[in-house]
Amino acid sequence: MELLRPSSLDELAAVEPGRGAFLAGGTELVPLLRDGLVETETLVDVAGLVPAGIEGTRIGAGATLAAVEADARVPDALREACRLAASPQLRAMGSIGGNLLQATRCWYWRLGYRQCRLHGGDRCLAADGEHREHAVVANDFCASAHPSDVAAALVALGATVCTTRRDLPVRDLYRLPTEEDRRTTTLEPGELLLVLDVPPADASVYLKAMDRKRWSFPLVGVAAVRRGDETTVALAGVAPVPWLDDGSLDAATPLPGTAYKLELARVLVERALAKLG
Amino acid sequence: MARLIRSEKEVEGRVEEVWLVVDEDALDQWPAGPRTVVGRPTARQDAYARARGEARFTADLHFPGMLHAAVLRSPFARARVVRLDLAPALAAPGVRAAVGPGEAPGLSRECEHQGAAVAAVCADTFQQARAALARVEVTWEELEPLLDPDEAVARGSLLEEPRRRERGSLERGLAEADVVVEATYRTQTVLHNALETHQTICRVEGDVLEVYTSTQYVWGVRARVASALGLPPDKVRVVCEYMGGGFGAKNGPDDATFVAAVLARRTGRPVRCMLTRREEMVAAGNRNATIQRLVAGARSDGTLTALGGEYVNAVGASGWNAMIEGPMLMLYECPNVRTTTYGAKLNLPPARAFRAPGFVEGTFGLECLLDELAARLELDPLELRRRNHADREPGGGKPYSSKELAECYRRAEPHWARRDEVRARSTATVKRGVGLASQVWFGGGGPPSYAWIRVGSDARATVVTAMQDVGTGTKTTMAMVAAEELGIPVEHVTVAVGDSLRGPYATLSAGSSTTSSIAPAVRAAAADAKRQILDMARDRYGEDVAELDLAELLSLLGDAQILGTGSRGPNPAGMTVLTFGVQVAEVAVDVETGEVTVERIAAIHDVGRVINPLGASSQVEGGIVQGIGHTLSEERLVDPRLGQVLTTTLDAYRMPTIADVPEIVTELVDAPDPQLGNLGAKGIGEPPIIPVAAAIANAIRDATGADVRSLPITREEMLRALAEARERTRGAAAAV
Amino acid sequence: MPELLVNGDRYALELPVGTSLAEALRERIGLTGTKVACNEGHCGACTVLVDGQPTLACITLAHRVEGREVTTIEGLRDHPLVDAFVRADAVQCGFCTPGQIVSAVALVTSSPHPSPDEIRHRMAGNLCRCGTYPKIEEAIRTWHG
Repeated sequence: MELLRPSSLDELAAVEPGRGAFLAGGTELVPLLRDGLVETETLVDVAGLVPAGIEGTRIGAGATLAAVEADARVPDALREACRLAASPQLRAMGSIGGNLLQATRCWYWRLGYRQCRLHGGDRCLAADGEHREHAVVANDFCASAHPSDVAAALVALGATVCTTRRDLPVRDLYRLPTEEDRRTTTLEPGELLLVLDVPPADASVYLKAMDRKRWSFPLVGVAAVRRGDETTVALAGVAPVPWLDDGSLDAATPLPGTAYKLELARVLVERALAKLG
Repeated sequence: MARLIRSEKEVEGRVEEVWLVVDEDALDQWPAGPRTVVGRPTARQDAYARARGEARFTADLHFPGMLHAAVLRSPFARARVVRLDLAPALAAPGVRAAVGPGEAPGLSRECEHQGAAVAAVCADTFQQARAALARVEVTWEELEPLLDPDEAVARGSLLEEPRRRERGSLERGLAEADVVVEATYRTQTVLHNALETHQTICRVEGDVLEVYTSTQYVWGVRARVASALGLPPDKVRVVCEYMGGGFGAKNGPDDATFVAAVLARRTGRPVRCMLTRREEMVAAGNRNATIQRLVAGARSDGTLTALGGEYVNAVGASGWNAMIEGPMLMLYECPNVRTTTYGAKLNLPPARAFRAPGFVEGTFGLECLLDELAARLELDPLELRRRNHADREPGGGKPYSSKELAECYRRAEPHWARRDEVRARSTATVKRGVGLASQVWFGGGGPPSYAWIRVGSDARATVVTAMQDVGTGTKTTMAMVAAEELGIPVEHVTVAVGDSLRGPYATLSAGSSTTSSIAPAVRAAAADAKRQILDMARDRYGEDVAELDLAELLSLLGDAQILGTGSRGPNPAGMTVLTFGVQVAEVAVDVETGEVTVERIAAIHDVGRVINPLGASSQVEGGIVQGIGHTLSEERLVDPRLGQVLTTTLDAYRMPTIADVPEIVTELVDAPDPQLGNLGAKGIGEPPIIPVAAAIANAIRDATGADVRSLPITREEMLRALAEARERTRGAAAAV
Repeated sequence: MPELLVNGDRYALELPVGTSLAEALRERIGLTGTKVACNEGHCGACTVLVDGQPTLACITLAHRVEGREVTTIEGLRDHPLVDAFVRADAVQCGFCTPGQIVSAVALVTSSPHPSPDEIRHRMAGNLCRCGTYPKIEEAIRTWHG
């Protein structure tokens, strides 16, 4: 394996798109490489290329979760999402950009079952297998749950991300997998996240239900944001992508083993809205 | 004076009759209470070595030219290898040898569970060995696995005949009862997950096979490796100085041990076979899932008339059918008890003993059932336990060597009295409650175990015994006993353990038997040395010296040494040696989200004399933390069709973190067992984990009225139980 | 290359890309105090400090720490927290202990007298199967520094 270290974005642009895997904090990529879930002969070290600072509403995609958590100018929901994510070591190591792009924790996907739709197969093994941690909505094709607390907070905050190619709402970084295209993100090969723009809010909260007190992926995570009279809610852990709750939880189709998540989500949404004041 | 006797040896509830060579135990026990050394909190002798990372675990050992093995394991729950060609693997870079089915114990073409070992290769690096495995040409015939325990029982797929125990008549007992409660309880499969995975390095030196392994039983590994390879036991040396946890999974050699042994002999080079964490979570043992169909009957005054249990242990493809019926048979005075235990043979990885095997699961069912009974009787749960206290083995059996359970109940009262105050701190959404559970377990240990001690001119002593300290601090316990007996500071005692070549036989570290088995031998050895020193003093000073200057006397020795030997005496005849306890748990339940928080656990245990209260409290806390994991968050999940393990990583299999720990208050009765050898000390490793689940479940019922009947108490289970409780209340209200 | 700076000493190593820092420390430099228990970043046993930040050595690529200061348990052997752990009996089997101490050092360096809540939050990434947690909390509460 080789390690490329382009010293500028121009040099990075010269690397053939999709040739290598981008390496920032590495907390997601290194385990995926070891498990053969990502296969590449080339690692492209982008840590030095991606802004890592926090200035006003702009957060570098390379900022660690710990740094974002610690900054008082960052909206509460995002700080709390960082605070409750992962473990202290992972928060010190992992970038916020990398956290947005993390893959599902679905065990069938992680164990490389070839029949899994996200691996190009023809079924969702979770649907009639073990699915207690899986999705309650938009789950007919793939029942995986999106594990990022930070993504839910950024989607609720209406944040945008600036990449090497375009600016787009964080929400549009994600897509539901389909028969034709199994990807869950919309990043193009060679496209790199650079900076997040997080508009301020009047109030924001993040509530998380997890299986132990710390260091656990969200069973359900609820980010709620108020600007004036408008509230926005987004959820982690309920769909294959971060899920904006525009009332569509009413259209939820929980699997037998995930019905409890619906109850949990409704309580947390109610509590989050109450906390917004 | 050594003699040969026939005695009973018990470990984890399995009793066997053995021939033993024992010394007369002529020492009187020390009076109760803290002494100069024994009974005082003492820091672990090797704490600095472990804390600084200087202690060398098997994982840290390196030998020149060492090869690394990787094991080919069945990915299927049930399969047969119809074709196997190791030649392409042998041709891979760095590969030096391979071993196939039948060539080492544990390697087979018939795979009865996922993770069953088939073959292994060894190479210069572990990565090369793993890469070589991918080149093995193997054709699997996948077979239909049997995964459901009730189905296994129905089909007669059992590991042994159903185990039936009975006293009196269950039917008569139920007929005599004023109140009968029935319920089914379920517990899940949990994994030991010690932080050091199973691993062994084997090395040949002349005609001796050296086995460096992470184990709880140095001598057991020696015996079984010797027997499997056809070697005289003295030609197998087993070394385990530091090991990173076992909890029962490492009570003997496993497939990694034998792979390393055979490959070391084949190549003439040291070979390490180490399980990855993924392998550890699939094929290194577990506490099996259980289904418990229970019934209890009592008179209106709370005295039990009947206890019945049908237990199904989902043991797996092989393994031990743990004594889940133990608590029901042993804990309470009840004249009519019938238990039937089925050991289901399934295509799942075999269970292995895990910290109080069977009793953790069985206590959950029994103690929850008793609280449901207490609720129906409108009787205080603590009072219900008291009223059924057994003064002798239930059913008119043997007397106990000692039993302080009534004292445990008495000491539980102030904790139990907190109920009103705790409940009063409930809010609209968070309900608080208190629950308790009582327990019984073994812990008397037994012979044989031996120790040597040497004392030199520096007035310092070294205790030598080929035992293992699995993290419980038993090395320090031994040092304290020797120091107390010799009358020297504990800092002047070194304890050398962990090498079968350099030390006498010591028993395994399981069944809460290390302190109770080995410490008496250490005391005997120290007493032997002390006798010799006193003889020396009389020779030197020509009088009976009570206050002698030990240092001055020993300084005369020069290179000479005083050598003492000691052995564990026999257990008291005609008596049962057990440990007892009760725990009181305080919980907070968010009744809208189902989140359960354990806020406080008071643990009161009778384990005979406590030698090191500091180490003992760590055992209590550790057992409770493991119990909390078992109760709230840990579960090994398997795909229900494929029988393949889904929770193979430590982020999916959720053990408690430091953030999950309640306030823990520990009280040890510390009353020496007057019948038990020269110390009166029993083991404490297992008692603390036993009552945790039931105490928490009972506290949840107190807080919310909800009956939790299965472990782990996930959000799903808690919300289900809360909904069921609401339905009952609604039903009751509607009926009014 | 890479050249690693570990506990103040320089090591010039020839390592294939993809070698973890844990492997470099344990196998190549011989510093076996840092333990590997899961090798995928879930348990914290392999925690070291990189420029003072708690870092999981098993999923850190050795090539990525070139030019940065790596501190392992061997470099902290005289830290007062070690005494605190021993006094409090915050050591059972000891396999997780080096990682615990390294994380604890990072904690008290930024927050010398952390509250119980802070301790629990900042130490939650270090698993201990023996369940020594109450004593670990006590050690951090009572250290003298």
